[in-house]
Amino acid sequence: MTDDATDDAPRHQEEQKAFAEEADSLLAITIAPLIWCAHFLVCYCGVAIYCAKWQQAFSLGVLRAGLIGATVLALAGIALIGWFAFRRWDVRTSGDWVHERGISEDRHRFLGHAAFLLALISFIAVCYVTLPLIFIGSCA
Amino acid sequence: MARLTALLLPLLLLLAGCSGRQSALGPGGADAQVLAVLFFVMLGGAVVLWLFMNGLFYWATRRSPSAHSEKGSFLLIVIGGILFPTVVLAALLSYGLAILPDQRAPGDGLTVAVRGEQWWWRVEYWPEGAEAPIRTANEIRLPVGARTEFRLDSHRVIHSFWVPALGGKMDMFPGRETRMSLEPVRPGLYRGQCAEFCGESHAWMAFEVEAMEPAAFDAWLAHEASDARPPEGAEAQRGAALFAAQGCGACHAVRGTEAVGQVGPDLTHVGSRHSLGAGRLGMAQEDLMRWIRDPAAFKPGAEMPAYDHLSEAQLSDLATYLRGLQ
Repeated sequence: MTDDATDDAPRHQEEQKAFAEEADSLLAITIAPLIWCAHFLVCYCGVAIYCAKWQQAFSLGVLRAGLIGATVLALAGIALIGWFAFRRWDVRTSGDWVHERGISEDRHRFLGHAAFLLALISFIAVCYVTLPLIFIGSCA
Repeated sequence: MARLTALLLPLLLLLAGCSGRQSALGPGGADAQVLAVLFFVMLGGAVVLWLFMNGLFYWATRRSPSAHSEKGSFLLIVIGGILFPTVVLAALLSYGLAILPDQRAPGDGLTVAVRGEQWWWRVEYWPEGAEAPIRTANEIRLPVGARTEFRLDSHRVIHSFWVPALGGKMDMFPGRETRMSLEPVRPGLYRGQCAEFCGESHAWMAFEVEAMEPAAFDAWLAHEASDARPPEGAEAQRGAALFAAQGCGACHAVRGTEAVGQVGPDLTHVGSRHSLGAGRLGMAQEDLMRWIRDPAAFKPGAEMPAYDHLSEAQLSDLATYLRGLQ
């Protein structure tokens, strides 16, 4: 892509601009795993600190309710990101699963595809992290 | 036929290892029963999956080695690769988590405090409402049909308390108390074992657990709380005098005598135990003599010094005295 003087030039510039936009969605694909990460840390540290320090202050039920609330928020956030990513992937209209051409449209779709799969796995992971909260009701 | 035998024999030998008094697969406690069921559910599931996957592999490579349709492959990946494992793992995780709280259930009254030492167990019984414990060592007796709570900690290094036939295991830490509970359902003699490497004699750090009918247990505990009985017979009396003269009481306690040491195991009722040296030897005359002559020969690194300067007759007197501490 060094032949800027050819007819391709405007399109090339356009692609460069589009790719610069994609830098944002490159970060965007990490949001769902980051939500999982934050939720995991809040649950794990919250229960650990509660059991070590705060057992006298309030009941574990309060903490569990709060953390299950955090789970609902996390799942809603991840579902939203997953939905946006699914639309960006646009597999239903394009029918394109592979994104093998090195053009901005394919990069755009590929990042949507990756973000969708990451949102899916983050969603499952948040559910798994929440299971102990539901089944184990004490610090013992 | 010979080949089949050669194949089956090791398998049968392995299976024989599943029974016995230190086996999680021969449960004698309520918790161990739950864990055994969990194990067999997992094993059954693994066998079914293994057969299914290998059957699929056989089918795809030998029976129908042609290309599959893109849509079929996609469905296979989504259902077999995502949906199925997610649901199965969620079910297994829920099952495992659901049985976890029972393993930590509070006891019915009796609490046993066990402290891990190198390489033996300091044991204290705290019956409900007790203000002082009943001290013993290296053996635990439990009433059948009641849940006994354990408070566990350790003196110097990390140990792990495990009676596979009765329930799960729990680590023992210096300076931090952990809890668990056990509920034997079948009277019998079980074996516990330290399950966390704790030094050179870790493998020799075991103990006997006797699950008894409640009435027999209460009688035993009342007897365990009493002082040691005085030596009977000339041999035992000579042994008691030797015990005092050799300074054994600096490390060992024999309640009701001048021996009040707390460094080593309490010997007040040592003769009534099933094993010597935390599961290392039996309680026969010869076992006690061999142990006193050179403990480190049986338990490398043991702090108890060798008493090999004593004559056979003196060792025998000591052994008679200790065996008489019923």
